[in-house]
Amino acid sequence: MENAQIIGLSRQVALQRELDVIANNMANLNTTGFRGETVKFEEFLMPVAEMDSFQRSDRKLSYVLDRGTFHNFDQGSVIPTGNPLDVALQGDGFFVVQAPEGERYTRAGSFVIDNTGTLVTLDGKPVMGEGGPITFGPDDVDIAIAGDGAISVGGELRAKLRLVEFDEPQKLEKVGENMFSGENPTVASTTRVMQGSLEKSNVVPVAELSRMIEVTRTYETVSNLLAKGADLRSKAIERLGTAPA
Amino acid sequence: MKALHTAATGMMAQEQNVEVIANNIANMRTTGFKRQRAEFQDLLYANLRRIGAATSDAGTIVPVGVQVGSGVRTVATPRVMTQGGVTSTERELDLAVRGEGYFRVQLPDGRIGYTRDGSFERDAEGNLVTADGYAVQPGISIPGDATGVTISAQGQVQAYVGTDSTPTDLGQIDIARFTNKSGLESIGDNLFVETASSGPEQVGIAGDTGYGTLLQGYLEDSNVEAVTEISDMIAAQRAYEMNARVISGADEMLSSTANILR
Repeated sequence: MENAQIIGLSRQVALQRELDVIANNMANLNTTGFRGETVKFEEFLMPVAEMDSFQRSDRKLSYVLDRGTFHNFDQGSVIPTGNPLDVALQGDGFFVVQAPEGERYTRAGSFVIDNTGTLVTLDGKPVMGEGGPITFGPDDVDIAIAGDGAISVGGELRAKLRLVEFDEPQKLEKVGENMFSGENPTVASTTRVMQGSLEKSNVVPVAELSRMIEVTRTYETVSNLLAKGADLRSKAIERLGTAPA
Repeated sequence: MKALHTAATGMMAQEQNVEVIANNIANMRTTGFKRQRAEFQDLLYANLRRIGAATSDAGTIVPVGVQVGSGVRTVATPRVMTQGGVTSTERELDLAVRGEGYFRVQLPDGRIGYTRDGSFERDAEGNLVTADGYAVQPGISIPGDATGVTISAQGQVQAYVGTDSTPTDLGQIDIARFTNKSGLESIGDNLFVETASSGPEQVGIAGDTGYGTLLQGYLEDSNVEAVTEISDMIAAQRAYEMNARVISGADEMLSSTANILR
């Protein structure tokens, strides 16, 4: 009798999670280098009773389980900012930043130079070049970053941004602060760097809104089902449960 | 339900974004103003099903986990320190810096302030001061009977005093630069002060390597571009609306749950 309720509940819990993911995508509509996410569901089959002595055999029940959130690695739109230390990536690559916990990867290329002359992200984590952190002297002007990540100062090659790719980007884990953690990076060969631009978030608001409508409506439908189930039960108790005095 | 709070962080971030844009637009005509930009970062993720966790004894692992984020935060509002255009004012004490460098002024509290706003005046004693009366460093005094003040591209101040036929040297205007100029702190009145993240000032002569040159009779406009700001504002406004929709969506879901029990 309660199976219908529980199955409905499993769907509702999954839908709430999906809305949480949509909310996070929406909250990061304007976050530089943000990658959106989508939820995939799977059916979870309830095992049937083994010693099947029911008159009609025990039937399988399928619950809903959210199986994974897929990162969407589509290119976000690139907007010019005019700031020489803003760099956008085109392609599948990532910048490498040195976080206290180890190497992290990001698509957000809004960098600054800190008081020691090191190229850092906006929260102060050093950006890695192929030979470690990139530093500039106090007199360095006209910093130019080429398409392959080579950084030159006044026409003289200084360093090269380290750009990496992953064979299985879906295995990357988001750790917040626009960063991913992952293993086994390989050298990015096809990724291009654009100076003076930033890559915006790749969240498509229309798609998110329509997914949200779908989620809320489905949730409502399931709620109605649950309400009907509860009605049914209360009627059954009312009609069948009156014990003769 | 997390979605409510997540969307709220989104609305808050966009609100700050609009505040930054409003300040940029308000200072569109402020001499030497540098526009700011709000930068965002995503917040922590809850790993409901961790990537790479084992799914069986046979060594199969979870290829994609379930990660639910918790929203967004404003990480920084860096100033975009690009050169603004210069406008001719035909005033002899108006200066613009072309390239790197800030004028140094003595603040009343003893600190040195840095500014790109070169609209200087003479005070009652003939000292070169900013529009707020703060003395330009190093101090330059222009005698009352001086005429034809010229300031060279290197900051050399000269004037004809009295009836002299040759100009007199009155001093040298230095400019300062910083390793991380985005790390300067704005204190209003077009002034910046040094911070730990900007690094110490490096004082030099205009025109030296790494320093810009001075332009007499011109002022630097703000580097705010109306078109960019307006389009940023539209984007921020729409993002705010979308997040509000998410909140009402979450609300609907919760109310339909509440309605099961009547």
